[in-house]
Order: sequence, then C-alpha cells, then structure tokens
Amino acid sequence: MHRADQQTQQQISDLVEACAGYWELRGIVRESSHEMQLELEQHLQQAVSDGKSLEAVLGPHPAAFAESWAREMRPHVWRGSTVAFHGLVYALSVVGTTALLSQLLAHSPAFTFTLFAAYLLVGSGLLALLLQLGGFLAPRISTGAGREVLLLAGIVLAVLVLRLAGLTVNWSMTLLSWSWPVTMVLLLLAAVLFSLDCWRTFTREHTSPASTNRSVLRAVTTFVASVGVFDMMMFVGSVAVVDFCRLALRLM
Amino acid sequence: MDTRSTQLLKGTLDMCLLATLAQRPCYGYELVQQLARQGLDLVSEGSIYPLLSRLQHLGYIEGYLVASRDGPPRKYYRLRPAGAKQLEQWQAEWERFAQAVERILKGARSDAQS
Repeated sequence: MHRADQQTQQQISDLVEACAGYWELRGIVRESSHEMQLELEQHLQQAVSDGKSLEAVLGPHPAAFAESWAREMRPHVWRGSTVAFHGLVYALSVVGTTALLSQLLAHSPAFTFTLFAAYLLVGSGLLALLLQLGGFLAPRISTGAGREVLLLAGIVLAVLVLRLAGLTVNWSMTLLSWSWPVTMVLLLLAAVLFSLDCWRTFTREHTSPASTNRSVLRAVTTFVASVGVFDMMMFVGSVAVVDFCRLALRLM
Repeated sequence: MDTRSTQLLKGTLDMCLLATLAQRPCYGYELVQQLARQGLDLVSEGSIYPLLSRLQHLGYIEGYLVASRDGPPRKYYRLRPAGAKQLEQWQAEWERFAQAVERILKGARSDAQS
C-alpha cells in the first residue's frame, strides 16, 4: 500500500468536484450528493493506495459513471433545471445591481445592457461550468492547468473559426435599455427567486434549525460576495476588456 | 476480463452484492475486495455504486454512516429483511438457470464425443 502523490490527490479531488457539479446539474439533493462525493473520494483514495488506477474505479468515461449513479438516485427535477434556475437568479442579481450602480454613479435615468455585458455574463457562467466539469478529464489530463489550456485553445479556435467564417460583432450594440423602476423590479425579482431557491434547498435537507441558519447565512454571504465581484468585473471589463477585444479583433 | 464474463457479471452483480452483504455489513471498497477475493474482478469498481443506490431504493439494503477516527465518516451498507427474501428468490432462479445451462453443455459435450 502506498500514499498517493500530490498530483494524484489533485486528480482525485478534481474528479470528485466534477462529479459533484454534474450531480448538482442533475438536481440531486445536496445531502445525498455530499454522501456520494464522500464515498467516491474514499474509494478512490483507497484504490490508489492499493496501486490501482483511477480508470479502474471510474472506467474510461468518468462522466458516464457520474450519470449512471445520478440516474439511480432518481432526482426530482428535470435535467439541468437546478443550474438553469441558479443561473437565472445570478444573472438577474448581477444585471440588477450593475444597473443600480451605474444609474447611481452616472446619475443616468436609463441603463443600457450591451451585447458585451450579455457575452460576459453568459460566457462566465459557461466557463465556470466547463472548468468544473473539466475535472472529468483528470485521468487523461492530470493537471488543472493542462485542462484550462485545452479549454482556452478550444475557445480561441472557435473564435478563429467564427472570424474566418466572416462573423463580425458590434460589442457595444444595445440589447436592452431600461429606467429606474425596471431596475428595482429586477432586484426585487432576484431577491424573491434567491429566497425561494434557499427555501427549496434547505427544506429538502433534513438538518437541525441551527445548522440550517448557518447554511443560509453562508449561502447569502457567498452569493452577495460573488455578485459584488462580478459587478466589479463588469465595470472593469466594460472599460478594459472591450478595448482589448477591439485591439485583438483588429489584429486578427 | 473478457466481454462474456463482463456481461455475465453485469446480470448477476446485484445478487452477488446482496449475498456479500448477507455475510456482514460492508462499505463500497470492502465489497469490491470481497468480490475480488471470490474471483470476480470488476471492469470498473465504481459500477457497484449505482447498483447499491438502486438496491437501497428498492428497500433491499440500507446505508448508514459510521464515524471514523482517521477522517470523515464512512458509509456502510447492510441487508434488510426484504433484501434477504429477494436474495433467496434470486438464488433459486440462478440455480435453476445454471442447472439448465449445465445440462445443455453436458448434452453438447456427449454429442461431440459420440
């Protein structure tokens, strides 16, 4: 029996993270998903200690393994609805707070939602999802950096193909424009949907009230912090990244 | 393991898991080790987990967490009365099936000899 090296430990943790992300996509209750992660991680650790490969446990397709286990857990909601709902709440919060901040700072009566902002919002969500699910490639591409390079190469290739196909994009194109009352409605809607999501998540988990309160507080703090970070990214992005993209596109 | 053995194992793995758990409660990795000791090597060890979840949903086994001194708790599985009853039924089915196959194979061998 031998101890797994640091790289193998990282591969195990990336694989387990990818499975957890996939199970969340499939709408498996957090409590069950946590138990499944624990079981899988312990099995992988012990198998590696006994000199077995990760493929010996998960087979050649870890995503297929995650799906077969998810199917047997009989999730309550249709495929992908949980992540779609989280994405909607997140997008509404980011757009609402960005609109509020820009209206407050610029004393502008209206907020303009550009194509670039939409791209940043959807692109970040997809990137976060792909980076997490990229852990399924851990048995083949052992390092996280390697998987990120592969993902980046895929994105660059896709952009090049679209450019060669003659696609031109006006990033500052206005998609939507709205005034104060709509911003308030968006923020209110985001708050209601977030509360609904918290209520739905924590009523399905049969934990003690104290533990539930702690979990709710943690969820709210994490959510508010991530929305704040994203808002900052949108502000920085709208100034710096647009210029960089314009320059890059001109060069290409 | 060749494809035929894999297919045979696929059709009987749930019964083998119940039979192993009938001896004593086990956690996932232990089950794989027990099966391997009896000569059943799984192509992918993780394939037992979807099956264990199915058996659990059917009420044949139950999972429970046992605190561990070394780290996080470990999930063990044990047989439930419904599982023991189902195992008896599957065993009887398997014996009938194996005997029928055996008779056919014996017949084929004696035909080849005559």
